[in-house]
Amino acid sequence: MPPYGTDPAWGGRSRDVLAAAVVLILALSTLFLSVDNQRRIASGLQQSALRPFIGVQRRLGDARVRAAQVDSMLAVVDSLSAMLSTHAALVEENSTLRGLLDLSERTVPTYLPATLLRPGTPGAESMFIVDVGSDDGVTAGSPVVGPFGLVGVVREVRDREAVGIDWTHPDFRASAMVTDGSAFGLIENRPGRFREEDRLVLNGIPFNSKIDPEAVVVTSGLGGVFPRGIPVGRIDGLADSQGEWRKSYWLDPMVFPASATHVLVITGEASEAAPGAWPVGPADSTRASDGDAAGVEGGSRG
Amino acid sequence: MAEGRVVRVGVTVGLLAATHFLLHVGFSWGRGAPDLLTLAVLLAAREVRAGPAAAVGLAMGLLEDALSVLSFGANTVAMTIVGIAGALSRDLFVGDSRFFLGAYLFLGKVARDLVRWASVGDELRQSFVDQVLIDGAVSGLYVAAIGWLVAALTGVASAGRDP
Repeated sequence: MPPYGTDPAWGGRSRDVLAAAVVLILALSTLFLSVDNQRRIASGLQQSALRPFIGVQRRLGDARVRAAQVDSMLAVVDSLSAMLSTHAALVEENSTLRGLLDLSERTVPTYLPATLLRPGTPGAESMFIVDVGSDDGVTAGSPVVGPFGLVGVVREVRDREAVGIDWTHPDFRASAMVTDGSAFGLIENRPGRFREEDRLVLNGIPFNSKIDPEAVVVTSGLGGVFPRGIPVGRIDGLADSQGEWRKSYWLDPMVFPASATHVLVITGEASEAAPGAWPVGPADSTRASDGDAAGVEGGSRG
Repeated sequence: MAEGRVVRVGVTVGLLAATHFLLHVGFSWGRGAPDLLTLAVLLAAREVRAGPAAAVGLAMGLLEDALSVLSFGANTVAMTIVGIAGALSRDLFVGDSRFFLGAYLFLGKVARDLVRWASVGDELRQSFVDQVLIDGAVSGLYVAAIGWLVAALTGVASAGRDP
């Protein structure tokens, strides 16, 4: 009769359960890692195992733009040519006037063209990668803009690429004002029931300020992150009012982040965006929509 | 488990992971593409012990979280728990039928979405009904359908398993 004892399979099983418990603890610990360590891990994986897939998206994006947007790009080039034909005279006139008034030259920011990539995985909805990095002068906090206005801001910079968040991210904030300067506030994202329902809100408007419907809201330059004058959206009705001292307004965004494929990253010290860089006309004439200018296609948000 | 089977499981998991990132990241298909990472973890969990299944879940979750600035760790925890639960389910449920496999993959995907929903921060947590019951159920059916096909093609998590 064999002696009583532990089932031989039991030892292996308990070791296996122990190993699973250790891995589970490791997994749980990732939730509590510092943001720096989380970024370090994410950055390492993006530059190693995930690099080929990000590269595929970049190449496909470039090919798609080259193939499908030639007509719209030609239209943009034509518009720019027309604008530049009058620009030279204005620059000269401006320079002369500044000389007469003893004013120094205004510093304008540098715009770096970049391809915007989206991971498309759960949890990455508000994140993007641009193919310019610290080698090109991009720093954390560099604004990212599209042909129609503000897209987001760079959060993390590597040598040749940078990771950013768009305005649908819960942490996104931008100081903004109505174009005529009559009211200043803070722009933030208001989450909807679904991600597709996320909306922009202009918060902190004094109760007595009167804002016209469809007024264009631009960055105010306060806070030093976004240069003054980048269009963000149009007023789309009163969101709520707190007591009798503060109001907030819904904004109809100028750019739906999911539709942006080619963007400009603003670098350099400048308090004001290049004047006239964005067409701010009547509603619906300037918003990103199907078949519009290069880099912005479609109108849905993801 | 026989060496040939180990290789087959490893290759299947690798191919599913590569296809997942190719569809989601490379081709930007987003929600249109099935969640092949969860499928890889669930299929592997029916073939290996709890420890290795947890490790596969951890690796897949970390890869997915590397592209997430919103909720780092949520996918890692969800995948690891699904891997362990899938491996332990072999002690409770033995079955090679298509119905069993479909039900296993469906419930596994819903469970993964449930754990992820619980792990993300309050700011990002959407309604339980929308995110887990509706989204989870639809994507669970999608994963189950693709899983049937993959299991039939590769023989992973299906009849003929080595003791």
